[in-house]
Amino acid sequence: MDKFLTVTALRRVVQLTAFFFFVYGATVFTTFYTDDKLTQALPALSCAYDMKGGDYCALIPLQHQMDHRVSTLFTEHAGIMQALMGTAITVGTVALLILILNKAFCGWLCPLGFFQESVGMIGTKLGMKQLPSLSAGTVNKIRPVKWFIFLFLVLIFPLLTGIGLLGHEWGSPFCSICPSRIMTTLAVGDMSQVYISQAGWGYFALSLIADLLFGLMVALALFVRQPFCRICPILPMQTLFKKIGLLRLVKNGSSHCEGCSNCVKACPMDIYEIGAPARNRDITHTDCTLCGRCVEFCPHDGVMSFKYGPATILTSSKESFKKRVKIDKWWKG
Amino acid sequence: MKNLLLALVLGTSLWGYGEGVLYWTPHGCDTGKTAASAHGGHGKGESAMFAAMNLEGNATARLVLPDLSLKELRFNQNTVMLPAPKLGGYYAMVAESNVSGNVYSAIRYLSLFGRPAKVSPTKLTALPKTVLEIVPDPLHREHDRYTGSKTYRFVALFKGKPLPNTPLVLETSRSGAKTYESGSDGTAEVTLPDDFENVKPGRGNKPSEFLLTLRHEEGGIRYVTTFSMPYSPNPNNHWQSLEWGAAAAATGFLGGLFFYRRSRKGGHNG
Repeated sequence: MDKFLTVTALRRVVQLTAFFFFVYGATVFTTFYTDDKLTQALPALSCAYDMKGGDYCALIPLQHQMDHRVSTLFTEHAGIMQALMGTAITVGTVALLILILNKAFCGWLCPLGFFQESVGMIGTKLGMKQLPSLSAGTVNKIRPVKWFIFLFLVLIFPLLTGIGLLGHEWGSPFCSICPSRIMTTLAVGDMSQVYISQAGWGYFALSLIADLLFGLMVALALFVRQPFCRICPILPMQTLFKKIGLLRLVKNGSSHCEGCSNCVKACPMDIYEIGAPARNRDITHTDCTLCGRCVEFCPHDGVMSFKYGPATILTSSKESFKKRVKIDKWWKG
Repeated sequence: MKNLLLALVLGTSLWGYGEGVLYWTPHGCDTGKTAASAHGGHGKGESAMFAAMNLEGNATARLVLPDLSLKELRFNQNTVMLPAPKLGGYYAMVAESNVSGNVYSAIRYLSLFGRPAKVSPTKLTALPKTVLEIVPDPLHREHDRYTGSKTYRFVALFKGKPLPNTPLVLETSRSGAKTYESGSDGTAEVTLPDDFENVKPGRGNKPSEFLLTLRHEEGGIRYVTTFSMPYSPNPNNHWQSLEWGAAAAATGFLGGLFFYRRSRKGGHNG
């Protein structure tokens, strides 16, 4: 039993449990109603369109607040408190959650992250050749997309909608294209979210992008690690607070690090920066999901660690590296 | 006087619908709409003034607030004006009347914006409100709405206990009455008709009203209760295509497989 006990094995158990809670939780733990959700501001893509979900992500209230509340600063000259209180509560809740678990919401709890990893496992078992890493050039080209999505689809377009400069379809444009909306509703047997809308050009474009993106994500996940996570607007939102997160990835590099780059190869988000030399430094990158693979695949004692506050909760070692490589070989056949 | 005339017009337009039973319907007059907009609620344009149709005898009305407290409502003719909400969430409007030994009741739920009540809406629906009651199981979620072609579950309760094998009659102003029967546990699954005409693509379609009626007789007393709510056209029957959506998702999937082929042929890392 001990030979299978790895960080990834533990993560799979947590991910599976979280998936059931966030996708089906209303049937057991919470109830059907929005009022009964756990936080209503989760920094992970658990979707509010899934009527059986246990919680929903922070991006849906943020878009609504931009549309219906923050915009009143301009349209009705509303007071600061009235216009911004909702957003402050959502952002404050996110900050509190980030303080507790930092970016581990992505790597350990996000239902869409788990779905993509599961599709990746299916791809491996189907014998599809996996892309080991994207090139640094490709990664650098992709990285700004998530900021664009966060700024425009989560904040600016909904705000302009509330002001009256854009049509209603731009009130929650990220939800309109989010693959989690389609994945989680399909997971509960609701087919109604896979549609093309003919209500207007904006509705048509957003529904078309959503369906194409969902199909593309599923196919890419068969051979590319975490394709949608790379452009997910949750990452920039988490980044705003990652400095206060108690859980963090710390590197205390040695001379062995030069020419190793095992951590970079193991990283599902292809963060090349973690391979750079560092002395006891927090290297939790904007794209990091705190999955722990870099710690598992680091062959050197005490170089890569997970720290929670001052305490080290996981650290790299030769032994765990050997065990992990053995399991990886077995899994890939 | 104006309210009386409007109630007459409303009553005429709904002739043959909900005949002889007490039920709630939005008044829809200017005063009610103005009050609703001042409420700033989630009522989707629903009036803040409601009429209790077929109101006779010694009738009472009350509002169950999201925190489960009660507020008496006063009838003006057969209409009530809701107070501006302080609490946000679901409210239940309850009307009861006693006519010649028959007990009539009507329940309607509405969602209004305000300070969170910190009480689950499940407690509001579960709270016994009348002797004979139709309980939505569940009531549609906040920001959602009853929609045509969708099936919803209701529980028939008498004195808080499930009422098995009893007919529930569904009526809308456009479709004829349809009868469903509660099962052994008192539940009935009701499919709302998508009977809207001249539906416009997208927003801007006014909801219509559906009415569920449950009748039960015990100890020589006839009990009649109703549940009325608005329902809307189903977008997937009118301006959204699931088939084209599936085709677009399949196209995206094929696009991804094309990238896979390219990555294999090119043999590069991205």
